[in-house]
Amino acid sequence: MIRTQWRDRLIYLAMSGFVAWHTLAMVLAPAPDNSVIAQSLRGLMQPYLTLFRLDNLWDFFAPTVGKGSQFRYIIEDADGLRHTFVPAEDLSWFHPSYFWFRSLYYAIVDDPELYADSTAALLCRKHASLHPVAVTLLRYDEGDFSPEDHLSGKHPMDPEFVTVNTLKRVECTDS
Amino acid sequence: MFAALERAWSQFWFHRSSTSPLEIARMGIGAALLLHYSLATPYLFDFWGDGGLIPRELALKDVSDPWIQSVFFYFMAPWQWVAFHAVFLLCCAAFMLGWRTSWIKWVVLVGQISYDYGNPILSYGVDKILACLLFILCLAPIGHALSLDRVRVVRAAKLKNLETVLPPYSSQWAGACTRLMQIQMAVLFFFSAISKLRGDDWWSGDAVWIVFTTGEHYNRFILDVLAPNYWLVNVATYSTILIELAFPFLIWQRQTRPYLLAAAIFLHLQFALLMGLFYFSFVMIMGQMSFVRPEWLARLGSAWKQRMGEMEMIYDGKCGFCVRSMASFLAFDGLGQIKIRDFRANPSPVVSDAQMEKALYLTLPDGRALPGFEAYRYVVPRVPGLWWQVPFFYVPVLSRLFGHPIYNWIAANRSRLSSKRTASA
Repeated sequence: MIRTQWRDRLIYLAMSGFVAWHTLAMVLAPAPDNSVIAQSLRGLMQPYLTLFRLDNLWDFFAPTVGKGSQFRYIIEDADGLRHTFVPAEDLSWFHPSYFWFRSLYYAIVDDPELYADSTAALLCRKHASLHPVAVTLLRYDEGDFSPEDHLSGKHPMDPEFVTVNTLKRVECTDS
Repeated sequence: MFAALERAWSQFWFHRSSTSPLEIARMGIGAALLLHYSLATPYLFDFWGDGGLIPRELALKDVSDPWIQSVFFYFMAPWQWVAFHAVFLLCCAAFMLGWRTSWIKWVVLVGQISYDYGNPILSYGVDKILACLLFILCLAPIGHALSLDRVRVVRAAKLKNLETVLPPYSSQWAGACTRLMQIQMAVLFFFSAISKLRGDDWWSGDAVWIVFTTGEHYNRFILDVLAPNYWLVNVATYSTILIELAFPFLIWQRQTRPYLLAAAIFLHLQFALLMGLFYFSFVMIMGQMSFVRPEWLARLGSAWKQRMGEMEMIYDGKCGFCVRSMASFLAFDGLGQIKIRDFRANPSPVVSDAQMEKALYLTLPDGRALPGFEAYRYVVPRVPGLWWQVPFFYVPVLSRLFGHPIYNWIAANRSRLSSKRTASA
């Protein structure tokens, strides 16, 4: 009888300890760690937060929504013709690949040094039928677009609202 | 003083509760994962393989933390990716249905984290929420309601005695895990709101306009509505912050919870329909299900039961096959809508014994008596646990064309089927 009581008590304590620990982890993960206490607690909890993928800031569309940027590319063929592609146009909201490809395009425009060569090689293979000589990766940065612009029939991706940056021109080696 | 604190602590965390709200989250998240990763199948090697669109060494260039782990890090041959993906999809299906939930849930968590860490570039909001919710579901004693595990337990009890009614499962730990999920959602809303308050777009009231004018979420219809009525943009922007800010504080009170829950669900339906964030919004709504009070579900169940009316199934208690079939059938009747009567022990005033020798009957309060296949056909859409059988019973023409002869054959041979089972047992 006494053993059962002790066992129940221990289980209760273990459950209490765990819920307190996990609640602290949930609150600590997105909290700013600019105090000594927060930093030391984070040090203690970081393995737990990382292993179970709990370390999140929950900052959706924040602090600012930010202007978008779009990935495009130009294939130059053997005859010197330039074919422009807007890969985002092939994506659909209704398929999760929309988010995967979108993330891939963000990675390319945000870090071309890292991703440009592998992406270009892939695009050269993808458009082999065009006999590509080179591929130029572009970043279209979106600008301000007002309600008046919309009412006058304009589109946020019209040339006057975007700034085009050339990320890299890569030769296709196997063409 | 200490005793009062302990009482308050116990009341907050260890209030005995059913798992039903968590089971709804389990089913929804399982279905979402199954659909999401089924659609990922053609892209498995492109996005998670070694030599795909993002080579592994590039995707993991900033990953040095040894606590970041993915099963994909240890795969060497293509068949391992395929096998893992297939097992993961099967586990998602089992998780959704609540089959062997006690261990399947851990496979689903490991799988989700593996896909997420396997290529961090692809990760976005929903993956973070999923890991947090799945982890809590792994800790929770799920599978005790709205699941095949529950069906198995009820069936086993009914095989011993068809009249047995198992009480709904509840435990203190279920209450604690429900509370953890609620706190997770409240924390998420709170930090989502205050991070917005640090941005000019949100303070100025323009954030919603900017969202819909980016190439990613461009929506001409919405802009047609918003551009001439810009005040709607301000209302939508400030309402978003208001709901996110109010949620973590007002969701706890009995009086305000239904309104906050409705507002949060409405907000996420807007994200789904207007911004295309279907997966994210659905998972968020499933997380919000932790705030659904079990008594609301009980009331909903009672209302459904009352609306569908009483149903009494009359069976042959001497036929072993009939009793086993009835146990399996009743195991899906979670609301206890079907009453049963063994015509051998308790003859029906509506259906004669001669009729009962030929088929099972269903009697209704209006005096109707439906035999065999028609009895099942009537019951299936009216008992939520049997909805999965609707396609078999309601395919136009075909269901009746094949259903009647199949049922009649089984009914005619039920003694043989019973004796076969008895002999093999």
